[in-house]
Amino acid sequence: MNEDILTTLKILIIGESGVGKSSLLLRFTDDTFDPEIGATIGVDFKVKTLAVDGNRAKLAIWDTAGQERFRTLTPSYYRGAQGVILVYDVTRRETFAKLDNWLTELDTYCTRNDLVKMLVGNKIDKEDREIERDEGLKFARKHSMLFIEASAKTRDGVQCAFEELVEKILQTPGLWESVHKTRGVALSELSQTGQGGCGGYCSLL
Amino acid sequence: MAADSDPESEVFEITDFTTASEWERFISRVEEVLNDWKLIGCRVGKPPEKGEYTSGSWEETSLEINFADFKFSITHHCLKQESAESEGVDEPEEDAYPLAMQDLLCMNNDFPPRAHCLVRWFGMREFVVISPGANCEAIVSESKCNLLLSSVSIALANTGCHVPLFVQIQQKWRRMFAGECQGPGVRSDFEIVHLRKVPGQYNHLSGLLDIFKNKIGCPLMPLPPINIAIRFTYVLQDWQQCSWPQQPPDFDALLTGEVGGVEFGKLPFGACEDPISELHLATTWPNLTEGIVVDNDVYSDLDPLQAPHWSVRVRKAENPQCLLGEFLMEFFKLCSRKETSEEILGRNSVEEEGKENSDITQALSKLTEPAAVPIHKLSVSNMVHSARKRIRRHKRVEESPLNNDVLNSILLYLFPDAALDKTDSSDVKSTQPSPGGKTEPDKDSEDYHLYNQLKSASCDSLTYRLALCMCMVNFHHGGVRAVAHLWQEFVLEMRYRWENNCLIYGLASGPPDLRCCLLHQKLQMLNCCIERKRARDDGRKNAASDGSRDKSRLAPESAGPAEVSPGKSWESWSDSEEEFFECLSDTDEMKEVDTENEKKTANKSKAEGRLQPHGKITLLNSQEPLYIPVTQEPAPMTEDLLEEQSEVLAKLGTSAEGAHLRARMQSACLLSDMESFKAANPGCSLEDFVRWYSPRDYVEEEVSDETGQTVIRGDLSARMKIPGNMWVEAWETAKATPARRQKRLFDDTKEAEKVLHYLSVQKASDLTRHLLPCVLHAALLKIKEEESTEDIPSVRKALQHLTSHASKLLRHPSPDFKKLEDVINQMSAVEAVVAIARSLKAKFGITKGEREEDGDELERFVSCLLEEPEVCVVGAGRGPAGSIIHKLFVSSQRAALLAPMEEETGRLGGADDRKAVPDFPPPAGREILLRTCVPRPAPFSKALPQRLFCVLMRDEFRLAGAFSSDTSFF
Repeated sequence: MNEDILTTLKILIIGESGVGKSSLLLRFTDDTFDPEIGATIGVDFKVKTLAVDGNRAKLAIWDTAGQERFRTLTPSYYRGAQGVILVYDVTRRETFAKLDNWLTELDTYCTRNDLVKMLVGNKIDKEDREIERDEGLKFARKHSMLFIEASAKTRDGVQCAFEELVEKILQTPGLWESVHKTRGVALSELSQTGQGGCGGYCSLL
Repeated sequence: MAADSDPESEVFEITDFTTASEWERFISRVEEVLNDWKLIGCRVGKPPEKGEYTSGSWEETSLEINFADFKFSITHHCLKQESAESEGVDEPEEDAYPLAMQDLLCMNNDFPPRAHCLVRWFGMREFVVISPGANCEAIVSESKCNLLLSSVSIALANTGCHVPLFVQIQQKWRRMFAGECQGPGVRSDFEIVHLRKVPGQYNHLSGLLDIFKNKIGCPLMPLPPINIAIRFTYVLQDWQQCSWPQQPPDFDALLTGEVGGVEFGKLPFGACEDPISELHLATTWPNLTEGIVVDNDVYSDLDPLQAPHWSVRVRKAENPQCLLGEFLMEFFKLCSRKETSEEILGRNSVEEEGKENSDITQALSKLTEPAAVPIHKLSVSNMVHSARKRIRRHKRVEESPLNNDVLNSILLYLFPDAALDKTDSSDVKSTQPSPGGKTEPDKDSEDYHLYNQLKSASCDSLTYRLALCMCMVNFHHGGVRAVAHLWQEFVLEMRYRWENNCLIYGLASGPPDLRCCLLHQKLQMLNCCIERKRARDDGRKNAASDGSRDKSRLAPESAGPAEVSPGKSWESWSDSEEEFFECLSDTDEMKEVDTENEKKTANKSKAEGRLQPHGKITLLNSQEPLYIPVTQEPAPMTEDLLEEQSEVLAKLGTSAEGAHLRARMQSACLLSDMESFKAANPGCSLEDFVRWYSPRDYVEEEVSDETGQTVIRGDLSARMKIPGNMWVEAWETAKATPARRQKRLFDDTKEAEKVLHYLSVQKASDLTRHLLPCVLHAALLKIKEEESTEDIPSVRKALQHLTSHASKLLRHPSPDFKKLEDVINQMSAVEAVVAIARSLKAKFGITKGEREEDGDELERFVSCLLEEPEVCVVGAGRGPAGSIIHKLFVSSQRAALLAPMEEETGRLGGADDRKAVPDFPPPAGREILLRTCVPRPAPFSKALPQRLFCVLMRDEFRLAGAFSSDTSFF
C-alpha cells in the first residue's frame, strides 16, 4: 500500500484556542463534525493519504493546542514541517489580531524558511461574522500565504484547503524531495582549467 | 556488382553489397553519418560577427565509426548562430561557395582567444573531424593517409556535403590534419606542415610570403594584394618587483605554542604561492598589406610597442596551494576516520587518569565517563578553572598530542570565563562582555542568519569557537590525535562544569535552539541542566539565611550573549527556588506534605507559590484576587529527543484511544499547572483556572436578573463541560501543591548525564560531522570578508550559490558528504580567485591609487582579466595598463640579461643601454595569417579564397594552408 506513496509530508495546524483547529482536522480526516470536541492538550496527531495531481502523499498532521501556556511546548513540533495551516475564527476578531504573533513564532521555530503557509478563516457558517473575507485576503497577501475561508461544521472549503496546501508543497522544489541538484554553473566555470593536447580547444601557447 | 555470380538468381533488380570492401563500407558509413547530421547541401549564414567565435557557444557531436576493426571517432563542431534560421529563409544562390570557403577570408575572428585549433588556423565556423579512436594507434603511413583522404573526398562528392571534412593524421600531439571541402565546381584543400625547427629562410614574413605565393602559383600579373594579419605573443614569467604579497603563515610560531587567543578565532586565507604563473601579451597588427611592413632576416618593422592592438591573458597556477581550502579539506578528511578517541589516543592516558581518579565518589560518572574529574572540590569558592589543574596532571603524559601551552591557550580561548580568577564565578558572568568585544550583531543582516541557514551555531557561540579550534589543532598540532585529545579535554570540562554548577560560557540561554546544530543543542541542554541544578542547590544552601536576596544575583547570569524571552526566563520561577527541593526518592515525605497542604487549603490558610495577581480578576467563589501561580517550566528538548518523543506520540496511532493516551502523556504539564494554581488560589474552581489558562473557554453572557439589572454571567464552554474530559479529570486529581514541591517535570540530573555520555562517546569523525556546519559557516564568512576588500562580482555570485547549496545539504537530516566535499573544493576555487585578484592588483599597482583617472581604467582592466579569457589593452602600449605591462617586461628583461637594477639606474637614460637590452624578450610565438583571393589553377578560373596560417614558435613551425581551386574543366 505504501508503494505508490510519493512522499510523507508534515503539516501543522496552529492558531488561537477555540478557533476550530481540531474540528477542521476531524472534518478532513474523518469527515465528521463533533460540536463537543475536547480542548486539545499539547499536540495531537492524525494521518491521511491524499491524492493530488495523480501523486499520493501521506500527510502527518499535527494539531496543536492554542492555549498560551502550551506555547512553550508546541513549538518543538514545528520542526521539519513542510506546511502550516494557520486558523482564525471569523466571528472573533481577537483570534485574527493574534495572527501576527503566530507568524513570528513560526519564523522563530521553523527549521525551514520555505515552508508553505496557509491562512484559514474558520466558522463561516456562523452569522455573527466579525472578519470579512477581504481582511483575511489582505493579510494572506501581505505575508504570501494561501488563503481560504472554511467551515468545519458545513465542510465548506475544508478538503479544498488541504488539497491546495499539499499541491503547493509538491510544487515547491527542494521542499519535499531530497536534494539532488548538480553543481552550479557559475562555479564549474570558475574551476575550469585549460584543456591541453590535441583536438581540444586551445590557445596558441 | 556481384549479382551474376549467384547462379540461382532470377531477380535482376537485386543489388548485392555482400562483397563490398571494408573501404566501401567505411565510405558509406561516413556518408550515413553526414546524412544523419543533416550536413548535406548548401547552407546559408551571415558572416560571423566580430569576436563571435569566442563569445558564441560551440556545439560538438560525436560518433564512433569503424574501418574494418579500426575505430575512428567522427565529430561535428559547429558554432551556434541564432539568426541563421531567419536569414536562411530565402533560397540560397545556386552556386554559393560553401560557408567554410567564405570564412577563409573573413577577418572578424582572427586569433580567437579560445577555440579549436582548426578554427584558429582556418577560421571556419563548422567542420567535421575524423580521428583515430581513443586507444587506436595514429595514422602515420602515407598510404593510409591517402586512403582516408580519398574516402573523405568520395563521401563528400557522393553526398554533396558542403561542410569541410578533416582526418587527423600522425601522432595526436602533432595536431596534423588534412581535409577537404567541396562546393559546386569548387574545392578547397586543407594541408598542414609541421616541423620542429623553423627553417632559417622562413623565419620572417618575407619568407612566408614566398611560400604562399609559390603555393597559390597565381599566373596573374600583377598579383592581387595579399592581406596580412600578424600577432606576436610575449610571455612574462619573472615578476621582478612584485614578489607575491602573501607571506606564508609563521608555522614555527604556531608550533612553539606562542599563540595568543586571537589566532584561534581566525581562519587562514590566501594562496601560499603566486596564483598567477604567467602573463601573455599578444601584440597584433590586424590588417596589413604586403609592402607596408618589412620583416626579413636582417630587419623588422614589427616593434611590439608600435602594434596597434594589445591584448593580455594570464595563466593561473595549477592548483595553487590555498590555505583556507587546505585547512577545510584536512578537517573534512576526519569524517572518514573510524577510530574511537581511545584508539587514537592509546589506552595509556585513559588508564593513567583512571588511576588518578580512583577516589571518585560518584559511581554513575565513572560509568559514563572513564576519565572523570575529582569531585571533592565542589564548593563555588574553589572554582578556579579546572583545566589548569588537569594540564598540570598531563605534564606527566609526555606524548600527549597537544602540549600544555597550546592546550592551555585553547582552553582559555574556549572558556574565557575561567581566566578571571575570581572566587565568585557569577560575578564573572555578569561582567562579561560578549566575546570579541563586538557590539550586538545586527539581527537583520544576512550574516546573522547564516547560522540558521547552515544549521550551525552563531558566531560568538562556544560551539563555533570549538569548531575553529578543532580545525586548527587538526591542521597545526597533530591531526586526528590532537582533535581527539582536545575533545577529551572539552568533555572533561563539560563534566567539571556540570558537577560544579558552573554555567557553560558562550551559549545562548533558554531551551536548545533547534535551528542550530545538534552538538550546540546538546551543550545548551547541559547548560539548562546546570542552571536548574544550580538554582536548586543555591536555594537549598540559602534557604536558612537570606534566600530571596540570592535570586537577584542569579538572574542576570545568562551566559554569553543571551536572548532571554521575558516570558520564559528562569527568573520567573526561581522566585522561591530556595524551597524547591528534589523529591524523587522521598515519596513518603511528599505525601505528608500533601495531606498537610490539603488541610491548609481546607482551612483557607496561607496560599503558596503565587507569582502575581491576574489583572483585577477575583475568584468566582470569593473576593480573593486570582493569582497566577509560579509554575514549572516544561522540559527543554534537543532535536533528537523531540524526534523520539514525536515518534512515540505518533505511534499511538490515530484512534480515539490513541488520542486519549497521547493527551494523557502530555497532561503532566497541565496537571502541574493546575496543582500550582490550586496552591496559589485556595478555594478556587475549574472555572477560575480556565479563566487564566484558556480564557476563551469561559463564556460570559449578559443576562438580566430578576430585578431587571443586566449582570454578566459566565460559564465554561461546551467542550470544557463534556463529562469526563481530560481537563475536568485532571482538575479533580490535582492537589494543591506549589511548583516547588511538585515532582520535577524535568530531571536535570538524568538529562545532564545523558548529554555527557553522548559527548563522551563521540568519535573524532562524529565530532567532525557535528562541527562541519560551523566550519563551513566560518569559511563562508571568511571568504566574504576577504572578498569585500576586493569587490569581485563573480566571487559574490559564487558565494551566494555556495551558501544556498551548502544550506540545502546541511539541513538535510543526513548530509551527503561527497557533495560537501564538492562544496569545500568550490570554496577553494573561490579562494584562488580572490588570491588571483590580489596578485593582479599588486602587479598593476592598484592598491596605491596614485593616478586617479588611470586607477579606474586599471581596475576595470584587472576585473576583466578575472572574468574573461583575454582582455584587450585600451591604448595598446601607450595606455595606462600598457605602460605598466611594458615596465614589467623591461625590468624582467634587465634582470634576465644584465646585472641587478641598482647598478643600472644611473645610466637608464642612455640610448645605448636601451639597444643593448631590448624591452621585450623574443616573442614566444608568432602567428602570421596570409589571405588573398586569386584564380586557381588557371588564369581563367574563378577567383577563390586562399589562406595560409603560419605559427612560429621556439620548437614548432606550422603552416596550415587552405587552397581553393575551380574544378570545372579540371
